[in-house]
Amino acid sequence: MAERELIEQLDTAIDALLTGRRPPDVPEIADLVAIAADLRDLPSPAFKADLQWTLVPRKQPTVQLHFLVRGVRGFIQFLHDAFGGTQEFLVDDRQGRVLHARVRIGDSVVEMGDASEQSPPYAFGVHLYVPDVDAVYARALAAGATSLHPVVDQPYGDREGSVQDPYGNHWYIATHLAPEQPVRPGLGTVTLFLHPRGTGRMIEFLESAFGARPAEAIEKAPDGTIAYAAVRLGDSTIEMGEAHGQWQPMQAGIHLYVDDADAIYRQAMAAGAVSIVEPYDAPYGERSAIVIDPFGNHWYIGTPL
Amino acid sequence: MDERLLIEAAQKDPSRFGELYEENVHRVYAFIIRRVRERQTAQDLTSEVFQQALANLPRFEWRGAPFAAWLYRIAANAVADHFQKTSREVAPPPGLDPAEETDIERRVMLFGMVDKLPAEQRRVIILRFAEGKNIREVAQQIGRSEGAVKQLQWRALQNLRAQMHG
Repeated sequence: MAERELIEQLDTAIDALLTGRRPPDVPEIADLVAIAADLRDLPSPAFKADLQWTLVPRKQPTVQLHFLVRGVRGFIQFLHDAFGGTQEFLVDDRQGRVLHARVRIGDSVVEMGDASEQSPPYAFGVHLYVPDVDAVYARALAAGATSLHPVVDQPYGDREGSVQDPYGNHWYIATHLAPEQPVRPGLGTVTLFLHPRGTGRMIEFLESAFGARPAEAIEKAPDGTIAYAAVRLGDSTIEMGEAHGQWQPMQAGIHLYVDDADAIYRQAMAAGAVSIVEPYDAPYGERSAIVIDPFGNHWYIGTPL
Repeated sequence: MDERLLIEAAQKDPSRFGELYEENVHRVYAFIIRRVRERQTAQDLTSEVFQQALANLPRFEWRGAPFAAWLYRIAANAVADHFQKTSREVAPPPGLDPAEETDIERRVMLFGMVDKLPAEQRRVIILRFAEGKNIREVAQQIGRSEGAVKQLQWRALQNLRAQMHG
């Protein structure tokens, strides 16, 4: 029998197996059909990964994004509608103001709180990897975001589109075009993306304040500025590129989990940060301090007590 | 790593349970789906088994039997409960005889090989078998013609055969 005919016969046999019928008897492909019969019990990789995520407690990542917005509950609804985010935790002050909430998006968790007069809101850029950028981009617009850039294939191997959410944050939504690997190696679903003015100085600050180390080669733009760089902070990555065009500096909020909050606070101050809250034992079980870096980003430095 | 060391590590630090999970998820799933023959139910019961295993891990005592034997016992109970709840008349055999164990181990080996197939072949096998899609649906999802999908399916199964008998 010609190979083309055997390919068809195999497919007919697999259809029969998958619909609970007896496959036709074709001696030439009997051993392939036997393997196909075993493959009926193959579990879906998505199910395996989801179950592992639910089961296995994770170590706290070094960096978690911290949003400060007016109306956290609405923001959580947006994250749900646009990106499939699910609320994992929320505590309020009983007058309705959300003190702290956590939302899971894919393999990442982001934190947030309600802004107040003492703590005005800020907004920043987030790199979001999803399996289907076109679908998520459309969902984000339907959920109230506005387009910053339509979805296009980028020369660096991602298909990408950008939106601004109703709270001012920028979401760079991307699918890595390598098959079977929708997220670029080393990145999670959610990664902070900064557009500082003076990216080289930003990297120096992160190195001296928090012990960051370069994660990828620095890519220079024709004008000599840094078009793209990524640094590692503990087990997390922060990406950045020099401010240009519509991508101007924003102010990020970063919850940084460290072994010794006091020591890192001192290090950050020595590197040029400004203190907002000196280290103290916070009632939620964390040695906590807040500083603002020379680029206006808020760093919540914490060590679990 | 030795299984006993893995168990002790997970007993001390639950974040190490992932290794025991990865080592055994195919076994438990294969054991269950052979009995319930329905994907969603098999997934629900597999989740239940690992949740129970994690919760009871601190009380697990190493007596030389493989960890999988303990998981099969939890799985057999979960399946029995399921049949009782859905009050089906004929419940499947609860235990695991040596012939079935051989069958399951062959599947565990095969599923491990699927993970190592070239990306496109692996994708076709997963969509076709783990997600039960027909050729047309697979073709639409991966943006190839139906003929190309059948070719990929053919090559994937030939690769798997070569490795199983290699």
